[in-house]
Amino acid sequence: MSHSSINNMLACHQCDSLLPMPLLAEGQKAYCGCCGATLFSKKKDAINRTIAVAIAGLLLLFPAILLPIIGIGAAGLYNDASLVGCITLLIDTRNYIIAFAVFMFTIAIPTVRLFTALYISLCIRFNRTKPSLLVFFRSYHILDTWTMIHVFFMGVIVSMYKLSALADMTIGGGLLSLVLLLLCSTLVSVTMDQHSIWHKLEETIE
Amino acid sequence: MSNKALSAGLGNCPQCHKLNVMHTEKQACSRCKTLFFARKPKSIEYTLAWTIAALVMFIPANIYPMMVFYTLGKPDASTILEGIAIFIQLGMLPVAIIIFIASFVVPLGKIIGLFTLMYSSKKPTKLTLKQQGKLYHIVEFLGPWSMLDVFVVTVMAAVVNLGFLTSIEVASGITYFTLMVVFTIFAAESFDPRLLWDNHQKHNHNTVTPYKEYKNTDDKCHDK
Repeated sequence: MSHSSINNMLACHQCDSLLPMPLLAEGQKAYCGCCGATLFSKKKDAINRTIAVAIAGLLLLFPAILLPIIGIGAAGLYNDASLVGCITLLIDTRNYIIAFAVFMFTIAIPTVRLFTALYISLCIRFNRTKPSLLVFFRSYHILDTWTMIHVFFMGVIVSMYKLSALADMTIGGGLLSLVLLLLCSTLVSVTMDQHSIWHKLEETIE
Repeated sequence: MSNKALSAGLGNCPQCHKLNVMHTEKQACSRCKTLFFARKPKSIEYTLAWTIAALVMFIPANIYPMMVFYTLGKPDASTILEGIAIFIQLGMLPVAIIIFIASFVVPLGKIIGLFTLMYSSKKPTKLTLKQQGKLYHIVEFLGPWSMLDVFVVTVMAAVVNLGFLTSIEVASGITYFTLMVVFTIFAAESFDPRLLWDNHQKHNHNTVTPYKEYKNTDDKCHDK
């Protein structure tokens, strides 16, 4: 098997079928003919869009984490909570495992993931690829599974529904920021063209 | 049947999906430098271990209360199923359904799904390959969604904190629940879906090439 032929082939990550490397136009997707899994897709203007979305996401992180998300009032008393407030309360009540899980899944991993996406895109945009990018991009793949902002947001919605029956509920600025952050976090996965980034890294490093 | 990378002495990098010529059982990807195997080693064993751990955690997660509701100082603890029963009594059927699906049906379904996948990668089953592939996709996709109840309880406990009047406290059940969700995600991660196709080929064609046969004839193509 010669060098050129192995670079023009790929194996499906789900069923391991050997397939010829498809040539895609922008906006097209390749599927495995054997099992139907998505192989990869080629995206429009991927680098610029990823930079824009990742910057927006990183800026939105601060209000989403620090501003109160929802609050309730009853009989003259009022209380609200932000994402950080939830975690500090869990630590105060000695639920360290949940506190750690919530912190990792809703703050730490999304932050690192957005930062990684921005850093890689910026480096490729300005042609400054270096071997350390391989480590960054590999970690991006792993972090993808563990980002749970969307689940947290759904949790907030369910809590709102529950609380609205219980007491007077108010919505804080944190909720809006959280919605926008969720939008950015999802859009990064949509705009990021992993296949062509790997290809570019392979071409420029070495 | 189509050609498999394994029988051609090739391996797919799990991280960047680059096709590599396998020289040894374990090697670094020529593109992203990840150390990998042609198939995840001991995939079924790891998946089985994590799934059993998750199943064990499922028991205390349902026995112990998820949260304690204090009204005027009077505590009222409720487990997952009790909480759902309360919502049905209060007439909040949509919430009851969401919570029931997210925190009872999905985790249990995931554990059953993982056992089915492990069985189908060893023995021939009635499920077609497409269904098995779809099952794996569903199990993988559902992973984070089981955390819904944990987040709901966390937000509720942080917001409902009006001193003596009403307050909600997180109880021990939720810790076990979190561990169960994390364990099922680990189980799905350690499962190698390619084993399903390997098994299918083994039982239907009997033309599997020996597992550890790597072509060492062309060494140049590994180093770029």
